[in-house]
Amino acid sequence: MKRILSSITDGRGFDIALVALPLAFLLLLSGLPLLYNVLMSFQEVDMFSLGTLWRPFVGFENYRELFEQPETLPILGNTAIFVTASIAGQFLIGFGLALFFWTNFPGASWLRGLFLVSWVMPGLVVGAIWNWILSGDFGVLNFLLRESGLISGNIFWRSDPNYSLWAVVMANVWLGTSFNMILLSVGLSAIPGDLYEAAELDGANAWQRFWTITLPMMRSSIGALIALGLIFTLQQFDLFAAITSGGPNNSSNVTQYWAWDMSFRQYDFAKGATISVIMIVFVMLASIVYVRSTRHEVRG
Amino acid sequence: MGIRKYAMLGALALATVSSFCIPAQAEDVTITVWSLDRDIQPAPNLIADYNKLNTGIKVEYRQIQFDDVVSEAMRAFSTGQAPDIIAVDNPEHALFASRNAFLDLTDMIAKSEVVKTANYFPGPLASTMWDGKNYGIPKATNTIALYYNKDMFKAKGLDPEKPPQTWTELVDAARKLTDPAANVYGLTFSAKANEEGTFQFLPWAQMAGASYENINAEGAVKALDTWKTILEEKLASPDTLTRSQWDSTGTFNSGNAAMAISGPWELDRMTEEAKFDWGVTLLPVPEQGAERSSAMGDFNWAIFANTDHPEESFKVLEYFVSQDNRMFKDFGQLPARSDISIPETGEPKKDAALKVFVEQLKYAKPRGPHPEWPKISKAIQDAIQASLTGQMTSQEALDQAAAKIKAVLD
Repeated sequence: MKRILSSITDGRGFDIALVALPLAFLLLLSGLPLLYNVLMSFQEVDMFSLGTLWRPFVGFENYRELFEQPETLPILGNTAIFVTASIAGQFLIGFGLALFFWTNFPGASWLRGLFLVSWVMPGLVVGAIWNWILSGDFGVLNFLLRESGLISGNIFWRSDPNYSLWAVVMANVWLGTSFNMILLSVGLSAIPGDLYEAAELDGANAWQRFWTITLPMMRSSIGALIALGLIFTLQQFDLFAAITSGGPNNSSNVTQYWAWDMSFRQYDFAKGATISVIMIVFVMLASIVYVRSTRHEVRG
Repeated sequence: MGIRKYAMLGALALATVSSFCIPAQAEDVTITVWSLDRDIQPAPNLIADYNKLNTGIKVEYRQIQFDDVVSEAMRAFSTGQAPDIIAVDNPEHALFASRNAFLDLTDMIAKSEVVKTANYFPGPLASTMWDGKNYGIPKATNTIALYYNKDMFKAKGLDPEKPPQTWTELVDAARKLTDPAANVYGLTFSAKANEEGTFQFLPWAQMAGASYENINAEGAVKALDTWKTILEEKLASPDTLTRSQWDSTGTFNSGNAAMAISGPWELDRMTEEAKFDWGVTLLPVPEQGAERSSAMGDFNWAIFANTDHPEESFKVLEYFVSQDNRMFKDFGQLPARSDISIPETGEPKKDAALKVFVEQLKYAKPRGPHPEWPKISKAIQDAIQASLTGQMTSQEALDQAAAKIKAVLD
């Protein structure tokens, strides 16, 4: 008894307890709902079986029906475009800004802090404001483009199937850039200055210093950021609800909005769960890539 | 000794107090009501008034958000925690009624002195019915009609007392009224990819003889083609595809659209914001003398089948119904009843408009009723959007919708 107790306060038992607590937490709050969701995607669910766990099992029926719908593949494609374009935009602009503020001109840290305001704003508020900016007839964006002579007629960002997805991408890039910028700034400031001094003495120019010192030293920050970006873009829902509602004709619909629409608009909870399972598969694939790409890292 | 004495005294005091209180509580039956009404809307106010009557029935109120009504109600019902009374959006009524989740009120209504089915407009009443039985009582109602800017009619040489009555006249008027240089569209409405799109389109299809069961009928194709003409000729903003009715009518109020299709919920805002003379007319029909139709909105009252107090719940509903004549005066909503006249507001434009809406209500038809209405509606919305974005012809889009609806109906 005494040995067990002492092992818990100081020893292997303590280590195990430390691991067990978060594991139990994860299993309870993420694992179980995930499993429940997977289970639901193989069942027939309606209003009356909503409160029970064991419902009629239908095998892959939900999946088959889902892939028979004409909108399924375009929506999966939209999701891929949305995620790639959003992450690329957020990352590139965020990195550019981080490098810019890294030069430490007067007021740099103050300005950098101000950028976070966009990240603090709730998605629905951001969505409502972008809704006005992107409005076809009276939107600010169209006004600016027209006045600067870039376009001659108004672009209906929200209602033209060729632009609607990009309208949401634009808003999402704006929303996520500052977060990328802050995380990358932290990564940049962690790079020891003497590396650059040594490189400069060896005659490396700014471009070479960026490619051989900054980028490799930022590897873990960038990896973590892309993984986080993937999670944040895949859970981006508010902007779709506020700007296009997935329309017109599903041209800006993505899986996360579609899953909600299935479950809570059409009350087809099983199909909603099925879409979520498909999303889980993609997130798993992405996380495997992430884990593999950062595996060989040695961290202090 | 001292402690004991006090304990005895305390127990005695408690017994006395509780012997006064407990019987009083035992008489009270508690009825729970869920609805989406805010503090200035009917439900919480009627409940507060009812509780003041001390009838021995105590009503408790819970406000739920619009988006959560059905999912909350389903969850509560499937776990046995449903309220006694709920207000549900009319197209979703059949979902509950068809599965006997709502109580069959037919007998109680037949015996009731207060609730008489003959008093209701046919549309709202039909939305509470399933299989020939009454599963609820209409709470309030609304519909859509055509608003038009009389000043703009005059400026473009149109007679402001002769608003368009047919689809052809509507499109012609829209062509004359559209003025891109002045940022004015002829018409504004909503073809959004949610229930609002169906709400606005279905009356057009119904007027031309189609219905949700045969949505690819000739009339529906003609209706959708008319919408397509309006959008292709830019007589309405392309943003019609993604804008709600409320936002669309906002452009009418600001003078950027000469006509608007919307409902009586716009009246207060329009009276305040619109700086021009406006009027309302019945929704134009396909051709002179064609059957009229319109959309029908708003909520119904229903009693959950697993309530412990069906009689008392019905008494509460009877009280709500008895207060229907306050519906417009106090809360600005239209009662679903043809026997109650809407009192004058003293605002001439508004009073004239209300007369048109009450007239239009006679032709209002429910969406469905069908337990899987959301899926039917989704098929219609997809067809509207596929056609209006030019990705399909109206016929192709509606054929596809008909196939989807057929799969739901079978």
